[in-house]
Amino acid sequence: MDEIEIQKCGVKFDPPGIVVVYNEKCSNKQRRRTMPLRDFTKNTNVEKATQDLLSHPRHGKYVSLITKAQLVRLVTIVRDKLNGMSLEASLARNDALDKIDPEENLNTVDEETLKRKKAVMDKTFEKHQVKPDDPDFKYDVEVEFDENNVIESGWDSEEGSDMEF
Amino acid sequence: MAKNGEPDYDQVGDEGECKVKIICLGDSAVGKSKLVERFLMDGYKPQQLSTYALTLFNYKTEVNKQKVLVDFWDTAGQERFNNMHPSYYHQAHACILVFDTTRKVTYKNLPLWLKELREYRPEIPCLCCANKIDVDYNVTKKSFGFAKKQRMPFYFVSASDGTNVVKMFNDAIRAAVAYKNDSTDFMDEIMRELENFELETDSGSQTLDDKKDNVSESGLESSKNKDNDDDDSDVKS
Repeated sequence: MDEIEIQKCGVKFDPPGIVVVYNEKCSNKQRRRTMPLRDFTKNTNVEKATQDLLSHPRHGKYVSLITKAQLVRLVTIVRDKLNGMSLEASLARNDALDKIDPEENLNTVDEETLKRKKAVMDKTFEKHQVKPDDPDFKYDVEVEFDENNVIESGWDSEEGSDMEF
Repeated sequence: MAKNGEPDYDQVGDEGECKVKIICLGDSAVGKSKLVERFLMDGYKPQQLSTYALTLFNYKTEVNKQKVLVDFWDTAGQERFNNMHPSYYHQAHACILVFDTTRKVTYKNLPLWLKELREYRPEIPCLCCANKIDVDYNVTKKSFGFAKKQRMPFYFVSASDGTNVVKMFNDAIRAAVAYKNDSTDFMDEIMRELENFELETDSGSQTLDDKKDNVSESGLESSKNKDNDDDDSDVKS
């Protein structure tokens, strides 16, 4: 997919859909594509709707140029609207879902939140990932870190930690 | 296969292989599955145990010329609400305890995971790893006291760029086999490696013997009370 470059993406509420503005490299023209979310209701599973778009025979190649996390966010905003949420409230909610709080216990959050947080983390994972087809890929990467010139992480020192059990 | 379609690790494999079970523990989204996937790379299809919604990965290897069949068990999200099914721990021979270096809460929860592990498997070797170091390598210049305090081997790893993943899993496999063969030599060896490094610069202020006194939870230091260990641990007492 070298021939197009996504410049903007957004949502459409009525009828529900995802919009991308992209540059078509061969003609150097800016184009806009609206992709309807079919049979989309306030109860539609966001994950499934996202997958349907990604595997769509015509739309798939456009939406796959948006990160999965962003696509999920857009679909969620559309669904929030159908649930009667204001755009401001939905954006605030989605910002919170996209933020990683080092103190937040993800063992107890709902499924949607966990998936969203994982999607954010996956972005970093993929950015740093060294895959088998990368020229500097090595299966066994051993690195010794100097354990002597270390500073305390500060994660051990706090009161109320449950280190003694 | 035993009851419920679960593998029985007391049986040897079809070709006389030693069968071991290694489990990963830690909070949601610390990267447990990604670590196993990085070690096994592509081409490994996990086996689903529908009864308990568990995932397990099979891996063949050799340890000291002994053929070994390893099953890596993955929680398949069961760690949510800290609700691990007892079968996850049943017959496990080694455990890898994982936290996420970008999220402090996952480190703070390690004692809870270790406590639960020890209720089911009081003696199995346990290794500790700090995952996601690729996000900020500066974290490797910091000390995390938990592993040392529990006398566990500690690894800075990245499932993303692969740092130390293979080394850690190979250590875990050797520890699991050693445990099954009722030998603690290997874990002693790992701990010695870690400690020698320290002693060289620590002007000998700590000795191995000093440390042994305050050990109780890591299960690395001895094999005492190990009789019937494989049978006693299904029921929470």
